[in-house]
Amino acid sequence: MTAPPPPATAPPPPPPSVAPLPAVSRPPATSSPAGEPVPATGPAPGPTTAAAVPASGIRGRLEAVAASARAGMSGSPGRLRTVGIVCVVATLLFGLAAGQSFRSADGALGRAAANSDQLVRIQAIQTNVVQADADATNAFLVGGLEPAAQRTDYTEAIATASGLIAQAAQHQPADGAALSALNQSLITYTSQVEQARANNRQALPIGSQYLRSASADLRADALPLLKNLGEANDARVTEEFDRAARASLWLVVAGLLALVVLTLSLVWLARRTRRYVNLPLAVAALVVLVTMVGGTVGLLAVKGNVDTTRDGVYAATLSTARARIAGFDAKSNESLTLIARGSGAAFEKAWQASSGAVKAEISGLEATAPGLSPLPWDGYATAHAQIRALDDGGDWEGAVALATGQAANSGNATFAAFDTTSGEQLSALSGQTAQQLDDTGGWLPFAGVLGLVAGVIAALCAWWGVSLRLEEYR
Amino acid sequence: MSHRQRRLLAVLTVVGASLAVGACTTAGAYDPTPLFTPSAAASPSPSATVTPSPAPSGTDVATTNCLQSYAPAATLPTPDKLPAGSTMAKIKERGRLIAGVSADTLLLGARNPVSGRIEGFDIEMLRGVSQAIFGDPNKVELKVITAAQRLPSLEDGSVDIVARNMTITCDRWKEIAFSSEYYRSGQKVLVRLGEKTGSGAPIKGMADLAGKKVCAPNGSTSMDKLRTFTDIEAVGADTHTGCLVLFQQGAVDAITGDDTVLAGLAAQDPYADVVQAPAFTAEPYGLGVNQKNVDFARFVNGVLEDMRADGRWTKAYNTWLADSLGKAPVPPEPVYGRTS
Repeated sequence: MTAPPPPATAPPPPPPSVAPLPAVSRPPATSSPAGEPVPATGPAPGPTTAAAVPASGIRGRLEAVAASARAGMSGSPGRLRTVGIVCVVATLLFGLAAGQSFRSADGALGRAAANSDQLVRIQAIQTNVVQADADATNAFLVGGLEPAAQRTDYTEAIATASGLIAQAAQHQPADGAALSALNQSLITYTSQVEQARANNRQALPIGSQYLRSASADLRADALPLLKNLGEANDARVTEEFDRAARASLWLVVAGLLALVVLTLSLVWLARRTRRYVNLPLAVAALVVLVTMVGGTVGLLAVKGNVDTTRDGVYAATLSTARARIAGFDAKSNESLTLIARGSGAAFEKAWQASSGAVKAEISGLEATAPGLSPLPWDGYATAHAQIRALDDGGDWEGAVALATGQAANSGNATFAAFDTTSGEQLSALSGQTAQQLDDTGGWLPFAGVLGLVAGVIAALCAWWGVSLRLEEYR
Repeated sequence: MSHRQRRLLAVLTVVGASLAVGACTTAGAYDPTPLFTPSAAASPSPSATVTPSPAPSGTDVATTNCLQSYAPAATLPTPDKLPAGSTMAKIKERGRLIAGVSADTLLLGARNPVSGRIEGFDIEMLRGVSQAIFGDPNKVELKVITAAQRLPSLEDGSVDIVARNMTITCDRWKEIAFSSEYYRSGQKVLVRLGEKTGSGAPIKGMADLAGKKVCAPNGSTSMDKLRTFTDIEAVGADTHTGCLVLFQQGAVDAITGDDTVLAGLAAQDPYADVVQAPAFTAEPYGLGVNQKNVDFARFVNGVLEDMRADGRWTKAYNTWLADSLGKAPVPPEPVYGRTS
């Protein structure tokens, strides 16, 4: 469009030889100035805009169309038409942006929910893995004759974990590689535990070595992978929460742009046509304004709800899951301390660290979810202190009996109370998180359609307003 | 169409296009979750994974001089007449003897998975000491330690005595005190049943294991000796049982250690075979005590004298070792004369 032939400014000499071109070469009827001769640079009417060269075929036709388009955009009606097109494009773009804004918020919320589901899944895998390890190590304390209930518990935990790994891989392809590595390390773990069992059953000391080795490998390989998975999914949830909060940006930017275009057009029209307000165009601007303000308010409300969920029930879900993981880890370490029989200082240290983590999560939960009753960790911590006192006092058998017994004050019984309560709390909280995210974004798909419709309505109004003025040129 | 209008259209097009592109490409596609890169992960557990063994601390062949311990009193004081202020009196006051032992060295000191008790030839020696202090063989708290923890746990006082197939060496005398020799072992090697050399001959000793991986516990005299065979790749583990796990997993080709220990390993794996050749080192076992507790070392030597004399030593040997190592030999002669 940089070197237009100047058909509008100078009356070219009529070349008689090019006259017999077909009708395409003529400017369309609407572009011919029919009414007021207001513009100073009035075009020369007539068949002068025909292509200069009698080119044949498609090329010729294209050139002819381009020429006629140029003619249509020229002069006052042409400018008017351009303004109309700009307004229509701006409002339609606004409609698209508004639709996209809501769609993006909706998509982000959906993905945030999916990612937080995945995070809960990953934490469930971790919980089951450490639970299985706690069972295996605890059962080892009583020798080759493993309690049937504990063995069942171990088997169930491993089965659940491996099922969840497959599910998690299905739900998040980006986790695939890490999950397959996790699967491998879980297989190594279970095979070592089985080898420990088989040797234990024959009363061979090498059984305990296989168990220690399994437990150590689990901590060296599987737990770091689970940590990575948890962190990656947590980061994804945060990313989507942020994206949902940012979604109104589309709406505001496109809305402001459309408003600027419409306002400039209104001013331009007012100057050119001696009318103060072009009503349909003003309505278009109003529609854009209302959609923008209304949508932004709605999206801000979504952001508010998202923030509440994130700092409240979602944070509480994560906290509870972390408390469970640390709790099971502590239980494993208690057993490993006893198995190490006097040289388990490192395991006891790990127990203290895990117990500290549980307590920190419990006090954090008081802040994020004030309504919840605190998890019953103290009962188990007291039992553990007694177990340590017995062992450190030289009564190893007594310590093992207290740790593995089923009496109300035993390590296993008090820990079961923590396990049950925290498990119930976790499933309740993660259900609430999903519910709240769902409730927050429920209206967004509908709003997306409304945004598009608003854009189309504004575009129609804008075109209507401009064509009212165009009519005057006919 | 004016220049300004064209520019406006262009801007709108660009904004629209970028919005559309932005909406389609980024949402929902994430970077893959990072994998764990294996490194020296801090794990509190003694693992059976292959660990580089520490540099040799200088092989030391036990000499007669180094076997010298402190001479016991002519007669052992009875439990109610222990010298006031002595180490034994303090142990009696505490109510139990704290001993560092192995829980996975079958025959010497191993946990019986059925009863949960730790038992073996080493443990019988401790029962004798407990009998002499308390008049009761069972007043012993058994602390399970690794081979490498034997000296440190004596030095920091966390155990009173160590009975964990420990060889008396001049180097160790610099850090702890030993009782007189209570058993004479020797280092041998354990291989897969039916393992042959490259030329098809049966394995007769370490010379036939050139180029193979051989495992021994870190911080043991067996490892020090293994290090002297430069054409063998030495692999360390925390305990001999850790070596057996590596052996069963195929990570090492052979295990070297004292004949007593290897007999315990072979008893757990019918496909493990102790090479029938004379031991290539002498491993005189002693009970370790803190260097400062010379009175306790003398007392323990007195206990060992009594056990040799009244047949308890032979009885313990017959219970634990005779099946694997043949009938009881004459107990090793004690060597005294150390004064400082």
